[in-house]
Amino acid sequence: MAQASQRIRNFSIIAHIDHGKSTLADRLIEYTGALSKREMEEQVLDSMDLERERGITIKLQAVQLSYKAHDGEVYELNLIDTPGHVDFTYEVSRSLAACEGALLVVDAVQGIEAQTLANVYLALENNLEIIPVINKIDLPSAEPERVKQEIEEVIGLDASEAILSSAKTGIGIEEILERIVLTVPPPQGEDQAPLKALIFDSKFDAYKGAISYVRIVEGRVSKGTKMKMMATGKVFEVTEVGVFAPAMRIIEELKAGQVGFIAASIKNVKDTQVGDTITDAENSAVSALPGYRKATPMVFCGLYPVDASDYNRLRDSLEKLHLNDASLVFEPETSVALGFGYRCGFLGLLHMEIVQERLEREYDLNMITTAPSVIYKVNTLKGDVIHIDNPSNLPPVDAITSIEEPIVKATILVPAEYVGSIMELNQEKRGTYCTMDYVSKSRVKLIYELPLSEIVFDYFDQLKSRTKGYASLDYELSGYKETDLVKIDVLLNGEMVDALSFIIHRAKSYKRGRQLVEKLRGIIPRQMFEIPIQSVIGNKVIARETVSAMRKDVLSKCYGGDISRKRKLLEKQKVGKKRMKQVGNVAIPQDAFMAVLKIED
Amino acid sequence: MRCMPSVYIHVPFCVQKCDYCAFYSHSLLHSPKDLIAMYLEGLEIEMEKRKKDAPQGVSSLFIGGGTPTSLKDEDLERLMEMIDRHFRLNPKAENTVEGNPGTITAAKLSCLRRYGINRFSLGVQAFDDKLLKVVGRMHTAHEAREAIRRLRAAGLENINLDLMFGLPAQDMAIWQATIEEALSYSPEHLSLYGLMLEEGTPLYSRYKEGLIDETDETDKMVKTGDKRNSKTDFKSRCGPAKDNQRERLPDDDLQAEMHEWAVERLKRAGYSHYETSNFARPGYECRHNLGYWRGDDYIGLGPGGVTCLNRVRWKNIEEVRTYQSRLQKGQEPVDEAGQEALTLRECMAERVILGLRLEEGVNLTSFRNDFGVDLRDIYGDVLERYKNKNVFVFKGEYLCLNSKYSFVANSVLQEFI
Repeated sequence: MAQASQRIRNFSIIAHIDHGKSTLADRLIEYTGALSKREMEEQVLDSMDLERERGITIKLQAVQLSYKAHDGEVYELNLIDTPGHVDFTYEVSRSLAACEGALLVVDAVQGIEAQTLANVYLALENNLEIIPVINKIDLPSAEPERVKQEIEEVIGLDASEAILSSAKTGIGIEEILERIVLTVPPPQGEDQAPLKALIFDSKFDAYKGAISYVRIVEGRVSKGTKMKMMATGKVFEVTEVGVFAPAMRIIEELKAGQVGFIAASIKNVKDTQVGDTITDAENSAVSALPGYRKATPMVFCGLYPVDASDYNRLRDSLEKLHLNDASLVFEPETSVALGFGYRCGFLGLLHMEIVQERLEREYDLNMITTAPSVIYKVNTLKGDVIHIDNPSNLPPVDAITSIEEPIVKATILVPAEYVGSIMELNQEKRGTYCTMDYVSKSRVKLIYELPLSEIVFDYFDQLKSRTKGYASLDYELSGYKETDLVKIDVLLNGEMVDALSFIIHRAKSYKRGRQLVEKLRGIIPRQMFEIPIQSVIGNKVIARETVSAMRKDVLSKCYGGDISRKRKLLEKQKVGKKRMKQVGNVAIPQDAFMAVLKIED
Repeated sequence: MRCMPSVYIHVPFCVQKCDYCAFYSHSLLHSPKDLIAMYLEGLEIEMEKRKKDAPQGVSSLFIGGGTPTSLKDEDLERLMEMIDRHFRLNPKAENTVEGNPGTITAAKLSCLRRYGINRFSLGVQAFDDKLLKVVGRMHTAHEAREAIRRLRAAGLENINLDLMFGLPAQDMAIWQATIEEALSYSPEHLSLYGLMLEEGTPLYSRYKEGLIDETDETDKMVKTGDKRNSKTDFKSRCGPAKDNQRERLPDDDLQAEMHEWAVERLKRAGYSHYETSNFARPGYECRHNLGYWRGDDYIGLGPGGVTCLNRVRWKNIEEVRTYQSRLQKGQEPVDEAGQEALTLRECMAERVILGLRLEEGVNLTSFRNDFGVDLRDIYGDVLERYKNKNVFVFKGEYLCLNSKYSFVANSVLQEFI
């Protein structure tokens, strides 16, 4: 038995977006013959359309590869894919915890990025054997030597043995597989010990229920095992265990060292939380595996159906998405302007965008999304602390003693020539400088403390545009800080549109209030009547604009032969208008509710 | 059951089509010779079939197109004879023929007069040769003046002039001059149409590239509100020119100003603004068209002609050959796509949408008689929604649109659909 686990290697791939992780994974699968070329087209690790389009991995996947090494032995290699975005750092850390090794894939042209660095640190914390791979060496501008040097200087890894590869052309693939076998340690766990399985992902299957993707750290599990979730204490009976080949294949038993899945007719992914430890209810492990953390949403927004009759469909769709995504939280909320909808919490901005897009595409929902907000801690005169995730819920000014906002520690890696622009940007974004290090001759690592609300606003876009896309960012929540914040409300045609309210630092409030009404004047089309737009703090109007009345919107001719056509024309116009939200007599386009995000400073 | 429908006859021929025109019409310059013969053959069969729908004659006749006067004398004679034979034209009814300058001769007019044509609608569009050329009109301003003279000389006492605003390179001054000149001929009726760029027309293609810019520009203007309240010069109020400035299109605001100016001017000259785009001296409102707007039945003959009888509407096949061959085989000249049984809801919507184009409004009594319900019950929510803005006005047994909103009516009209 111990010998079998000697021929298992569990590894993942760490890479920045676009550095070729998915292509490399595809290549490894193809090389080891897990899938034919044709199947590859249909089935790659990034299985959601959205992931393919965006070139990122959102949901993790795992795949078992069977590789006959140069020593003549056949090895079971388990590749655990990791999502490549800051929103999903926790998931990445659990995936890495399920491995003994990691391929560090760095683009031979781009070099190391902040995200990569953050994930390498996670890997090192988990004591992973790291194999540097310099990818895209087929590109004419590839500079493998410079990148090697960077790996050594920035991370402190010996890069002399780094594998030069091109996932696109297939260079270095065999060398990578061989290196995994040689240098990644085999799993250590004892298969006679009480069961300890680390959940690194879970997925909802309509027939099997919530399926846990696990790494068996110790012990064994098979059909019939009474398993216990150590964080929640819930007990389920295992109905199936299996591996990813890469399609799910049922096997008799999963043993220490293996990666696979466990199904137990669990109704909700909430019960299969990433990071939790599964043990045997009848022979429990003494302690759970370390590192479990409940997923905490950082960014919130309101989701409302444009057509109120879609409300139930929105709820059903959110519930379906939630089946597969325990980190998505939502609860009903009511807006005076938008009616019934949901306040949803996300791990970050990308997570938010993905959920919105999936709702629109997969569930065909026509929605209004309000501008994202963070959670503010409001200290009231009564001595309570209220957590506000929706600006319109902020208590009146005279009931508040102070407001605290979430602060993150941001790590920015940037070519030295852009340090000035970044510092300027961070200044504008109310950042506090912490440290600056030259990680190589030409690259600088800056650490700042920044309000999360500023990052949510447009930080990432600014960062990219001010550094021609060269800067990369990673951040983690570091705490709360008291700040002088105010709420700006927006009145359209004299009526307050609560969904447009936002909280902002007082020093920026006048400017932003003015910019917002200007922006809204551009977004709201002219209508039959003049529409005044005002932004106010409390009762005080700080800016006003007017959308003047439309002057021509008429069918100039309409006679007998033309009536049907003209009626259809009006129908078409009406459909176009239906995409807008009617608030009183004003039709507001969907993107108006995100307008505050589209203001350029 | 209304007794007498109106009859419309479509003549799908023009000397040459204008660049903005999306109607079905053949250019006589490029059509095979036998096409008109086929058309007349088909039309005769169709008249034979349809005359049962007008057993007591027709309330009004309108021969439109195309350009009916572009037919040769003998073809026009044959057309008129045919109509008279099947529908017993009543000289006391309103019988209109449409035509364009440059195709109107004393001989043709005398033929029309002989058959009881007593109203003529002339497609003048503009009294400016440059503008006429830009939109591909085949005639000059001089020919328009000459045509008006001939119409009067032929004894026509009810003349309509079609005029267009929003033409490329047209500005307020040109438009005002056009209206003034039109008034100098004391027409009984005027139709003022804003140019619509319709897909598939040469003007549309010509402007497509430029137009995309233009619309964007307009959009932007609409959206950012730039220049909205300021009086800026014509140049900046028109879309970007592709090559030269003459091709610029007036934007919506300028078109609205042109329309508003004309409404005021014509009122002073004694014309009533009785429909969105139509003006008449008292008693000269077009009865044929009033029929459409009031929801009366109508028969439309000829390729592309549209008929609406008892809430069923159909449109004839447009292509002349297919139209004719179907009729010759004893079939209806209609394909499936051209048929439409209107639901009660659609009929009611159309009644309101068309009726609100009229100054008089929608007749509430007729509405109740025809549909068995009160308009105020069916559309109470819409009326309520716009109450505080005074969009709707009740006048006796009529519901009308506040004239302030007649040029921005679409968004209200949509609500009835």
